[in-house]
Amino acid sequence: MTEMFRLENVWHRYSEGETVERVALKDVTLSIKQGEFVAVIGHNGSGKSTLAKHLNALLLPTEGCVLVKGWDTRDAKHLWDIRQTAGMVFQNPDNQIVATAVEEDVAFGPENLGIPAAEIRRRVDEALKIVGMTEYRRAAPHLLSGGQKQRIAIAGVLAMQPEAMILDEPTAMLDPSGRREVMETVLRLNRQEGITIVYITHFMEEAVQAGRVVVMDGGQKVLDGVPREVFTQVAELRRLGLDVPQVTELAQHLARRGIKLQPGILTVEEMEAELCRYVSQM
Amino acid sequence: MPICVTDVTYTYQPGTPFAATALRGVNLTISEGEFLGLSGHTGSGKSTLIQHFNGLLRPTEGQVSVDGVDTANRNNRKAIRQKVGLVFQYPEHQLFEETVAKDVAFGPRNLALSEAEIEERVQEALTMVGLDPAKYAPRSPFDLSGGEMRRVAIAGVLAMNPSYLILDEPTAGLDPRGRNEILGHVARLHKELGLTVVLVSHSMEDVARLVDRLVIMHRGQVAADGKPRELFGEPERLKELGLGIPQVTELMRRIAAKYPGVRPDVLTVKEAAAELLRYLGRQADA
Repeated sequence: MTEMFRLENVWHRYSEGETVERVALKDVTLSIKQGEFVAVIGHNGSGKSTLAKHLNALLLPTEGCVLVKGWDTRDAKHLWDIRQTAGMVFQNPDNQIVATAVEEDVAFGPENLGIPAAEIRRRVDEALKIVGMTEYRRAAPHLLSGGQKQRIAIAGVLAMQPEAMILDEPTAMLDPSGRREVMETVLRLNRQEGITIVYITHFMEEAVQAGRVVVMDGGQKVLDGVPREVFTQVAELRRLGLDVPQVTELAQHLARRGIKLQPGILTVEEMEAELCRYVSQM
Repeated sequence: MPICVTDVTYTYQPGTPFAATALRGVNLTISEGEFLGLSGHTGSGKSTLIQHFNGLLRPTEGQVSVDGVDTANRNNRKAIRQKVGLVFQYPEHQLFEETVAKDVAFGPRNLALSEAEIEERVQEALTMVGLDPAKYAPRSPFDLSGGEMRRVAIAGVLAMNPSYLILDEPTAGLDPRGRNEILGHVARLHKELGLTVVLVSHSMEDVARLVDRLVIMHRGQVAADGKPRELFGEPERLKELGLGIPQVTELMRRIAAKYPGVRPDVLTVKEAAAELLRYLGRQADA
């Protein structure tokens, strides 16, 4: 598969005043292939958001380089190609909505590309269909729920027909049903539309649904693997200030008391099956 | 003495085309010393309800009283606001002073206290949220981490010496460590100082671990009110209300359905581990 994002020895320093600077990324090397679903976790200040902003040239590396489909983000002449390839969705849906009707909001991006009206119409309809918001196309965005607003923000990015989408804690401000709506939408974009997803989150139950999990700490990539490998490192994740799924923690408690279940349990279904297997063999 | 909400209805912009009724006939009593969880999906009326607890909003119909004092009477407002401390969502957005000490002192400074008393309140409040006054008081609140800023904002409310502490999603947007720190301090305030706490939260894991009683709002009404252990016995109903149950509770309900003799109503990972060890131990003996 071809490479969507490549970070090579990327450093990022924020300057604070004349002399003080803060190192937000330290020598990060990372490759994300087309079609992957990568969750990025890490505590506040670990460098997750800085990393995300490098993926569509909102930030440029202080040292090292970032390639998006082979384009160097420092190369100004590819800025529009990069932004159109990798769309970004942020935490607060209210800050991303610009129009007074849902379909106008979704049309905002493609309108700026100088696309013919009929094509915009087609893209808006399709984007709304993919996020399941067709019936709200004439609604006023500010009257929608948080999850619905976030799906509109996602549709706005989709209408630009990106190949990748970067979502920076898109569910942080949502209630549980809003979180489910957004997560299901993003999974569908990845599986059905083949869009590469980079998903930053503090919610471990979301990260376990990704194909791959990258853990950041102190500006560095400290763990990188499939969820099953990453989340079984309970002690390491705790040290990094992160959570593990409750069933993973439970399996570890039981293991300490001599009840050995299959390692790498992440979901209720897996734990249920393992416990049943254990009991049947007693 | 309690906070009593009696037959309260609240309508935003009444008598206009934009009128929206956010609370419909709500009855609720919060007793002194309780640790209450308040949940419900966005738009269910939670935030409107808690703003009634300290008189920021006054009911369109019905009555709210705090320790027997009616919030509708303007003359009582100052006393009620001091008694009921309200921490809004993202309270760190309200920090504005040059130093942490000045920010926390802002509330008490309006209470006609001496400088020495104000200083003492600031020290106490910072200590309560786990921020060493010697280290943090002189710093700019804007140089702190998100979790620390939030704790400074909570300290600002605690410095008013409230009897009731109402927190609107105090862990929203924080990482797991930040969440655990804040909730740990809130639990201690309840246990050690006897503060009455109302915690607005979407996290059933947190609610299960902390609160004695859970109230769920739905469409402006109280849809459920009981112990978390009881309410989690009806996961379908919670789902209808836009909520879930903790992962371990879900697991143990499934295990109990297959193996009679296993308790379904566990709330935490520790409880689940203890129950499974008990059951498996007994099976091994048999």
